Amino acid sequence: MTQFLQAVVLGLLIGGVYALMASGLTLIFGVMRIINIAQGAFLILVAMITWWLWHETGIDPILASVITAPLMFGFGWVVHRLLISRVSGESSSMSILLTFGFAMVIEGVLDITAGNRFRSATPSYFDESFRIGSVSLPKAQVFGFLAAVLVLAALYYVLTRTWTGRAIRAATQNPSGAALVGVGAAGTAALAFALGSATTGVGGSILSVLYPFFPASHYDWISRLLGIVVLGGMGSLPGALIGAGILGLAETLTATYGSLSWSTLVFYVVIMVVLLIRPQGLFGARLREDAA
Amino acid sequence: MLSMKAVFAGYGGGNVLQSVDLECAEQTITCIVGPNGAGKSTVLRVISGLLRPSAGEITMDGEAIGDQAPDEILRRGITQVPQSHALFPAMSVHENVLMGGYLIRKNRTLLRERLDMVKDRVPLVASRAGDHAGNLSGGQRRMVEIARCLMLDPKLILLDEPSLGLDPRSLAGVADLIHALHQEGTTVLLVEQNVRLGLGLATHGVVMEGGKVRLTGTAAAVKDDPEIASLYLGGTKAPPLNSPPAGQGTETTSV
Ligand SMILES: Nc1ncnc2c1ncn2[C@@H]1O[C@H](COP(=O)(O)OP(=O)(O)OP(=O)(O)O)[C@@H](O)[C@H]1O
Ligand SMILES: [Mg+2]
Repeated sequence: MTQFLQAVVLGLLIGGVYALMASGLTLIFGVMRIINIAQGAFLILVAMITWWLWHETGIDPILASVITAPLMFGFGWVVHRLLISRVSGESSSMSILLTFGFAMVIEGVLDITAGNRFRSATPSYFDESFRIGSVSLPKAQVFGFLAAVLVLAALYYVLTRTWTGRAIRAATQNPSGAALVGVGAAGTAALAFALGSATTGVGGSILSVLYPFFPASHYDWISRLLGIVVLGGMGSLPGALIGAGILGLAETLTATYGSLSWSTLVFYVVIMVVLLIRPQGLFGARLREDAA
Repeated sequence: MLSMKAVFAGYGGGNVLQSVDLECAEQTITCIVGPNGAGKSTVLRVISGLLRPSAGEITMDGEAIGDQAPDEILRRGITQVPQSHALFPAMSVHENVLMGGYLIRKNRTLLRERLDMVKDRVPLVASRAGDHAGNLSGGQRRMVEIARCLMLDPKLILLDEPSLGLDPRSLAGVADLIHALHQEGTTVLLVEQNVRLGLGLATHGVVMEGGKVRLTGTAAAVKDDPEIASLYLGGTKAPPLNSPPAGQGTETTSV
C-alpha cells in the first residue's frame, strides 16, 4: 500500500512538471496550428542557462526562473517575429521543418558553447526529502511541482480573466470569428508564442534540477511533450494537464511494479489505445474547417 | 455612406465577384437577394475586411477601406454577423458578447453600458449568460451573434442571413430589432434568402447572380420586378437583366 501511495504521489508530482512543460506546446498549437518542435530545445536551452546561473552565482535553480521566464518571453516574441510569422500561412509541414531546424541550431550552439556532456544543477536540498507518514517526497520534486502549479495557475488566470487571454482563446476557437471582433491574428499569435516560450523559462529551470541533461536531450523531451499533447487533445490546456498526469503515473507505477525501462512503452500504449477510441485525443475538439 | 465600385474579389481560384457596384445610403436597409453561390456573402466579407478585394474601390463615408484590416473596419463603425459559426463555442454567452466589445475594452464604463443595452435588447444574453455558446441551439446562437455585433454601437451592420434557423417568434424578434436599429439611425446591409421578409423589411433591394449585381432599386420595386422570379426559378439561363451601370445604380439606390 505504501509503495502504491508513494508511486501515485510521485507520479502526480512529476505529472505537474510535465503539465507545465506541455502547456506551452499546446497553447502555441491552439492559436497558430503550429507544432513547435523546438519547444524541447527551448527547455534544454533554459536548463543550460539556469545551470550556468546557479554555477556562477549560486542562485537557486528553480528561483532562477524569475529571470529565465521573462527572458524566454522576449525570446519567443523575437523568434515569432523573425521566423515563425514567415510560415504562418504555409502548410503545417513547413512549420514543423522550420522549428525542427531551429531546434537543431539551438542544439548545435549549446554543443559548441557548453560542450556535449551531462549536467545537472544540484542545490543543497537536491537529495533531501520530506516525509509524510511512510511516504517520502524528494524536496526538489516538491519545489518543482509547486513552481509548476503556480505558473499554470497564473497561465489559467491570464487566459480566463484578461483581455489578452480572451483574445488568445477566441483566436484558438474561431480565427475568423476573432477577426470579426477586432482580434488581430498576427498580434495574438506573437503573444501566444511568447507566452508558450515563457513556460519553458520555468519548465527548463525545474528540468535542470530534476533531470540530468545535455544538448541533444531535447529529442527526448519533445517526444514526451508531443505524446502528452496528442493524448490530451492538441490545443487543449485541460487535455495537457490530464495527459501529463497520465504520463507521470504511468512512469512511476510501471517503474514500481515493473521496470523503469517499460514505463515509456506503457505510456505510448495508453496513447495508442486512447487514439483508437478518440482520434482527437481526450479533450480535443475535432477541427472545424467550416468556420466562416 | 458605403459605396463599392467595380469590386472584384475571389478566394484564390479566380474572381467570385465580377465588378460589383453597390451603394448603401445613410439610414437605409439594403437587402441583397440572389441564388446560392451568387456571391452575396462574399460581398459582406469584402466589406468587413475578411477578404481583400483584388480590384475596385470600397469607401465608407468617403474614405477608402478596401485595403484595411478587419479591426480597422470595425473602428469605422462597421460590424458583421456572418452566415455561420461566428461564436467562440467554448466561451460563455457572456464572454462571447463581451468579446464584441474587444475594441472598447479600455473604457470599462462604456463597456458596461453597452453590455446592459445589449442585454436589454436580446434577453437571451442575460438569461443564458453562463452557458457555453457551443451548447446553444442554432437559433439561440444567431441571437447571440447579433447581440455581439451591437457592442460597438455600429453605424453600419452587415447581416448575413439573419433569419437562418430562427423560429417564427425569434424571426419576428430579429425583424423588430432590425427595424428598431433602423429607426435609431443605424444603416443595415443584409443578405436574405427569405425574400419576402428581407425585402419587406428593407428600403432598398439588390439582386445578385453569378458574382454580379443584376438589379437594384427600392425594395418595393425589386420585389415586384417580374424578372426576380425568373432569376430564382430560371437557373443559369436567366435572361440578361437591365443591369445598370455604376453611376445609374448609385442613383436608383439613393432615391
Ligand atoms: N472560403 C471559400 N473558398 C473558396 N471559394 C469560396 C469560399 N467561400 C465562397 N466561395 C465561392 O464563392 C462563390 C460565392 O459564394 P458566397 O458564399 O458568396 O455565395 P452566397 O451568395 O452567399 O451563397 P449562399 O446563398 O449559398 O450563402 C461560390 O461559388 C463559392 O464556391
Ligand atoms: Mg451566403
